[in-house]
Amino acid sequence: MTLDTASHTSPTTIAQLVGHRTTETFALLDEESKREIRRALLQAVCIPGYQVPFGSREMPVARGWGSGGLQVTLACVGVDDAVKVIDQGDDEGVNAVNLRRLVTMSTGIDETTEVDEATLIQSRHRIPEDDMNENHILILQVPVPEPLRGIERDIRELARMHAEADYSRMWVSLYEDKVRNGVITQSTGYPCLVASRYIVATTPIPRWDIPRLHQSKFLTLFGAGREKRVYAIPPYTDVEPLTFEDVPFEVESADGATCRLCGSSESFLVETPGKQESWSCSDTAWCRRRRNA
Amino acid sequence: MTSIIVPSPIIQVRNLGKYYGNFDPAMIERTGPEHGTARDHVTASIVAAWGVNFDVAAGEALGIVGESGSGKSTVLRCIAGDVAASTGDVRLTPFADGSVNILDLDPSARRQLRINTLSVVYQDPAEGLALGVTAGGNIADPLTASGWRNFGAIRDRARELLARTEVPLDRMDDIVRNFSGGMRQRVQIARALANKPPILLLDEPTTGLDASVASGVLDLIRQLLEELQVAAIVVSHDFGVIEMLTERCLVMQHGRVVEDALTDQLLEDPHHPYSQKLVAAART
Amino acid sequence: MTMTMNKTLPILDVQNVSKSFTLHNIDGRTVTALEAASFVVYPGEHVSLAGSSGAGKSTLLRLIYRTYSITAGSVKFRLANDEWVDIAQLSDAEVIALRGREIGYVSQFLHAQPRRSVIDLVARAGVSRGMSIADAHEQAGHSLARLGISRTLWDVHTSVLSGGEKQRVNIAAGLISPPRLLLLDEPVSALDPENRERAIEVIADLSDQGVAVLAVFHDLDAISRLASRIILMSRGNVVTDGPVDQVLPQLTPGDVQP
Repeated sequence: MTLDTASHTSPTTIAQLVGHRTTETFALLDEESKREIRRALLQAVCIPGYQVPFGSREMPVARGWGSGGLQVTLACVGVDDAVKVIDQGDDEGVNAVNLRRLVTMSTGIDETTEVDEATLIQSRHRIPEDDMNENHILILQVPVPEPLRGIERDIRELARMHAEADYSRMWVSLYEDKVRNGVITQSTGYPCLVASRYIVATTPIPRWDIPRLHQSKFLTLFGAGREKRVYAIPPYTDVEPLTFEDVPFEVESADGATCRLCGSSESFLVETPGKQESWSCSDTAWCRRRRNA
Repeated sequence: MTSIIVPSPIIQVRNLGKYYGNFDPAMIERTGPEHGTARDHVTASIVAAWGVNFDVAAGEALGIVGESGSGKSTVLRCIAGDVAASTGDVRLTPFADGSVNILDLDPSARRQLRINTLSVVYQDPAEGLALGVTAGGNIADPLTASGWRNFGAIRDRARELLARTEVPLDRMDDIVRNFSGGMRQRVQIARALANKPPILLLDEPTTGLDASVASGVLDLIRQLLEELQVAAIVVSHDFGVIEMLTERCLVMQHGRVVEDALTDQLLEDPHHPYSQKLVAAART
Repeated sequence: MTMTMNKTLPILDVQNVSKSFTLHNIDGRTVTALEAASFVVYPGEHVSLAGSSGAGKSTLLRLIYRTYSITAGSVKFRLANDEWVDIAQLSDAEVIALRGREIGYVSQFLHAQPRRSVIDLVARAGVSRGMSIADAHEQAGHSLARLGISRTLWDVHTSVLSGGEKQRVNIAAGLISPPRLLLLDEPVSALDPENRERAIEVIADLSDQGVAVLAVFHDLDAISRLASRIILMSRGNVVTDGPVDQVLPQLTPGDVQP
């Protein structure tokens, strides 16, 4: 199947903006849909951390499997992009492969496992170890975009809390957590304050990756398909994990653990399934490159 | 005007009124003590409170006494912001120097007032506390709301307040649901005082507690009012509470203030027939 | 503490004061407790109010303190700056201000503050009249000692005291850093002879301090030792008002019966 990619460059004339309907759409979604998602994304970028509602479509992946991240990627993608998709840091995970195929097959763009070759990086549960920069957009798949969900169910009250920056109940829950457990125990989805204004859920990334968001050179977009929300952390934005000033934010650690494949002790490690005390790098591409270097 | 120096008011309330239902100006004349009801028979509206005026100075506790349905709790809730007043002008010196009628503020600004300026102690501790949260956590709430971010400092302040309200410190990390009524009330008071508010509203603070428990809580409140020099409004149907805590007092009946007097004068020389009835009943 | 004031001018000028109660919940009847009273009190005087029960003595004290509202007449009080104010016309806030510092009232009964310690209660009264906390505590200790309240009781809650002890604490609180006008309503009635003696001495000192005292005692002996003047009342009226040596011989036991 070939696509007439010439007609799918960025519109430069009114005629192109108005568009002609083709039976094959670039990137699965029709132009109006993509436009709507982009509008939502622009709003999100303008209001860092604010959850913008969007018209989440039915996608060829089921809800809960990255449909939100997918829609964000499809809305952003252009012919010159190259996409990397990871799941738990692994490009070869089943879901990562599926999603990547959906993107490339509906657009014809390049795919890659290397960060410095990619422009769009869609991920569930990791930020790649490699440094990213202004040429990258990181797109995260989010199951639950609402950081306060554990504390409040009423959507009007949630809207009010965000609108008034009334996060005292979040602070109380952190206090209770520390009192009950000695530490603040949230692992993934650690709440962070973005641009000193909105608290966001950093699902799906682990605490390990959170410092990477602070004043990053790259744009991060969060897509939640089932909950129909997108939010964004623009480049060079303050991202502070919520904690008390005398309770330092700690990232995950396993004493003395190193990757059994490449020997690294500075990357995020995961246990080998079935084998205790056996660790390997979560970011498979990074690990492989280190071994081959 | 004499040269007697009278402390300037911290709370000024003018023409406070609250009705439920449709408004018809004539309904004001059709309700009140002379009619024996707060309900207007023509519109079926209820004039829960009308024409309430008073001042409270720093270090002063003003009582509002009356039976249920008198409007006393309505007045307190209108000032607290729990209920939207229908009319009136309420100014608080600690907020914008008293230049703003707080009844005109939007709900978000009213909430801000409740963090640093004005605290409320409710009859039912469950209204002023999160029962599923620890005693310390309930105190952490107003502290973090006003910007406290140091865990150690929050714990210290919570301990200080719980000690002052005589809650055993080894219960600081117990959830409030597991506390007795009297203890819950003490935690509520501790929480209300967390940010050192200059204004304190107490709505039947010891009603519903066992007598022996109530007297301890009452005495605590009396000590605190004296120590902290807050401006306080104490709503109660119980003259014992009013006598212990206040020097001036309003009597309300069917939504109107029928008497405004020095507390000892009200108890020994009540003027309005309704006041006389209330005082006589309290004495028996 | 020195009291700088004009000793030739009275401090209290009561003119045609009357008090009636309207009992709405009985049948709306009016009861007159005081028909008419007029008198003046000078600083440093100890004026004794005498008369049988129902004469209006306590009523008069309460009117001056504004525990009773005044039905008619004026109760003029001279402030420290020599300005005269009519207590009958003052606002509640002004009365509260006067009561704290200028006019004191010691009744028979200790006001319910059950968990307050003895010394704290007395010291607080001093603080409310302008003393520093340290001075107030020190002076409180002296007063309590003079009244025979031993040190062991100072930190005890007032609720556990006997009636006589409470009364002496009451007196100590009323007299510490005394206000310019002191109203005493049977302050020694529950005291045994030894403590009554101590209390009378302490009250006697007030005149030297320039305090004006208006007191009700049901005790001829106390009156004879303390009073410089006696106002005899009967059925809501002033019957006699004169120096103690003149009026005292006229008093019958019935005039001082409680």
